[in-house]
Amino acid sequence: MAATARGRGAHRIAAAGVVTGAVLLLALLALPIVVLLIRGGIPGLGQLGADHELRAALWLTAQTATIATLLTVLLGTPLAYLLARARMPAGALVGALLDLPLLIPHPVAGMALLLAFGRASPAGAALAQLGLAVVGSRTGIVLAMLFVAAPLYVSAAREAIARVDERYESVARTLGDSPMRAAWRVTRPLAGRGLLAAAVVMWARAISEFGAIVILTYNPKVASVLSYDRFTGEGLEAALPVAAVLVILALVPLLVLRSLRAGTALGEPAR
Amino acid sequence: MIAVEALRSRAGAFVLRDVTFSLPAGAWGIVLGSAGSGKTTLLETIAGVRRAESGRVLLRGADVTRVPPERRGVGIVYQHALLFPHLTVEENVRYGADEPDYAVALARRLGAGQLLTRGVRELSGGERQMVALARALAPRPDILLLDEPLAAVDPRGRTRLRRELRALQRELSLTVLHVTHDFGEAGTLGDLAILLDEGRMVQAAAPETLFRRPASAAAAEFLGAENVFAGSATPLAPGSDDEAGTMQFHAGSLTLVGVGETGAVAHAVIRGEDVVLARERGGTTSARNVLDGVVVEVVAHGALARVTLEVEGLPLVASVTAGSVSELGLLPGSRAVATIKATAVHLC
Amino acid sequence: MQATAGAARHLPKLSSCNEIRHMRSPGFALLVASLACARPCDAATASRADTVVVFTAASLAVPMRAALDSFARQTGAVVQQENGASLELARRITELGRVPDVIALADQEVFPQLLVPRAASWYVRFARNRMVVAFTGRSRGAAQITADDWHHVLSRPDVRVGRSDPRLAPVGYRTLLLYRLAEGHYRVPGLASRLEARTPPALMRANASELVALLQAGELDYIVDYESLARANRLRFVILPPAIDLGDPARARDYARASVRVARRTDTTTYRGAPIAYAATVPRGAPHPSAGQRFLRYLLSPAGQAVLRAHAVDALRVPELVGDSVPSALHAMHR
Repeated sequence: MAATARGRGAHRIAAAGVVTGAVLLLALLALPIVVLLIRGGIPGLGQLGADHELRAALWLTAQTATIATLLTVLLGTPLAYLLARARMPAGALVGALLDLPLLIPHPVAGMALLLAFGRASPAGAALAQLGLAVVGSRTGIVLAMLFVAAPLYVSAAREAIARVDERYESVARTLGDSPMRAAWRVTRPLAGRGLLAAAVVMWARAISEFGAIVILTYNPKVASVLSYDRFTGEGLEAALPVAAVLVILALVPLLVLRSLRAGTALGEPAR
Repeated sequence: MIAVEALRSRAGAFVLRDVTFSLPAGAWGIVLGSAGSGKTTLLETIAGVRRAESGRVLLRGADVTRVPPERRGVGIVYQHALLFPHLTVEENVRYGADEPDYAVALARRLGAGQLLTRGVRELSGGERQMVALARALAPRPDILLLDEPLAAVDPRGRTRLRRELRALQRELSLTVLHVTHDFGEAGTLGDLAILLDEGRMVQAAAPETLFRRPASAAAAEFLGAENVFAGSATPLAPGSDDEAGTMQFHAGSLTLVGVGETGAVAHAVIRGEDVVLARERGGTTSARNVLDGVVVEVVAHGALARVTLEVEGLPLVASVTAGSVSELGLLPGSRAVATIKATAVHLC
Repeated sequence: MQATAGAARHLPKLSSCNEIRHMRSPGFALLVASLACARPCDAATASRADTVVVFTAASLAVPMRAALDSFARQTGAVVQQENGASLELARRITELGRVPDVIALADQEVFPQLLVPRAASWYVRFARNRMVVAFTGRSRGAAQITADDWHHVLSRPDVRVGRSDPRLAPVGYRTLLLYRLAEGHYRVPGLASRLEARTPPALMRANASELVALLQAGELDYIVDYESLARANRLRFVILPPAIDLGDPARARDYARASVRVARRTDTTTYRGAPIAYAATVPRGAPHPSAGQRFLRYLLSPAGQAVLRAHAVDALRVPELVGDSVPSALHAMHR
């Protein structure tokens, strides 16, 4: 009897510990955002009408982040598929390579992109032929966003695809599908929820990027650069509204996308 | 027809090797083996979803070893159906079919007519397998691979599924390769039995040969049945309509009364331990099979002995204690009477 | 980087942290206090070695590092250096409440603009600086450019010229002042606006270090910036006529003839030409003010001047103090 009571007591302490830890982390994450929204939310939203520089920055941020995400989904999903189906060690090696951009400090990433795609580089010269410049342009913004965020998408997409039982594709192939057709008709819809979640993560990451973007493209300004600009030039009070409005406006598509994901799980390995 | 030569295939760390057999067109082959023996790997290699490391796979006489699965014209039904969760039953069935009407007709025939608009999650095990079967046959393959299709189905569903499988095989002249770990569950021994053990093919032969002369002690233990007779069954009472009931089985001049499902019964299976021996006939007994024979061979294994009788020209193996052998004085050449209950004679 | 070890210990003591007086709302102050008090707020000098935290403008980074290292070797002090854009450093003090022991900027303008009187009551000019046109061996027209025709080269349509945003950095509007002075000096009407137009928004940057990066990467052919920056980054540069390069204190009145209006979102400021000088101060609420003064005294001494000159900084022989309540430790050094 005493042993059970002790056991229950220990269990309660452990459960309390888990809950406390969770609450602490949530508080740590939520507090700065709450402060930001309180300090900057109202002035920010009020400013939106008159402040066309702010509107332009928000629009540019949304545009470039969306383009970067769409490009990544287009190019990264096949890559994620190949990685999900790849044998070791090739899969692990490429996977590790893909994680590298995540390790690089963002300003350093911007410099690396500048060296690789700037006008003085072979790639940059080729781009110039096409009329594309990386510095001071939307192209540079999209490139920087892609560099820092695409690895997140590919990792998450790879996981989502790996969770789909490979045998579904085998069955589809015996029913006459080529490998690509089988992947498209079977694996893609079954991994769809996970792919969408990965795209959301990528988009959010692209929206918030600063260090890599500012090296390549200072003008035109995305919201993160504008808020830094206003902080430097005018002070905290001027910078907070920009940041707060960005958070508020970005919440809308995020919430919409997350709610789309709700629903029964598909594609988990067959019972 | 399905033929395999020196086939070697890999699934992760597991290697399947030395598989060679030939199954004629329209025949029913059964692949026996315990879990992990390589049965699924073999099926997947024949279907083409797994690449053979070496050896050949021939379908319909043509070498298809390098041909991708979508061009092999093979249907496959897995143990858990693997129906596409994001599609309805009808969409599943029509997935690979060029003729949607045929696909739907197949589904209806297999009893899934009411289920067409449903999602696959709502189906029972038996219903799933019916749908999986319809899906596999909708593209009109002439070869069908079954990976323990009855294992996840409840007993009632199993009966129905077995019947439909046999019927379809006949109607569509399918060459079937049926993988199972338990021939009793399979309900049939087919025309060719292939025994796999730990990734190697141990034996491929007609079922009665396989059972009567297993290639190894482990195989014998797995098979667990020493007596298999090939023959045919007739109902006990003419005109009786018992779906799963007692029947008369004839193998040559040997007649047995046994239990099984009506339909294409081709074999009678009796475990050696179910055979009771005596020196002469006793009084009235409930056992329906009392057979006179002559002892041909006695092999002792410690406390047990394996006694082979000749009955109506066919060998019958009984597994008895060594003590009984000496008590009864069973020696080669002595007469003996074998008694077997009808329930111990499995007809399949 | 700041020491953050003391954060937990020093959270609640608002009254002992001078910098909190500058904060507006108490709630925010509490949040900032935990950041600001990351260093021990105790201003009393310790019996152990000094700790000196210095904010340095990017173009001064290398010379200041050398001076700090030399100071550390001689006194055993622990030195910490943070580099950044002039305005951003100033904002760190005024907005974020992070106060160093010494702040040294490549442009004295920032002191009266932002720091005096709330964050500092005095500052000392200690070196000169001037505008140059910097470039690399890869720059177009690099072979021909001279002090006399630089404005022709920069006017060419195939040449990419970068400069700083005048709204954010003093060097930005000083570039515009340079252009105006050049227009008068070379007697080329419209030169200033033409040169100004040669840098589209895409080639403008918030601070000088980014311009250097772009120049070195080959994205730009020329940048207009301080000589200290050009030397620090080993760039080639054109020395401009003293009449226009804002580098000679004796020509203050000539420089003052040029002016630019810089329109920001909320206000417009007019800047007049003035000689550029490096300046430094020990701000209010510095965590180790005595140590800061000791380092500044060293920097202004002949020994410190020698270190600066060794790193191509034109140190003033007699530093110039501006403002009142200058600490006695530095009295002897000023004029």
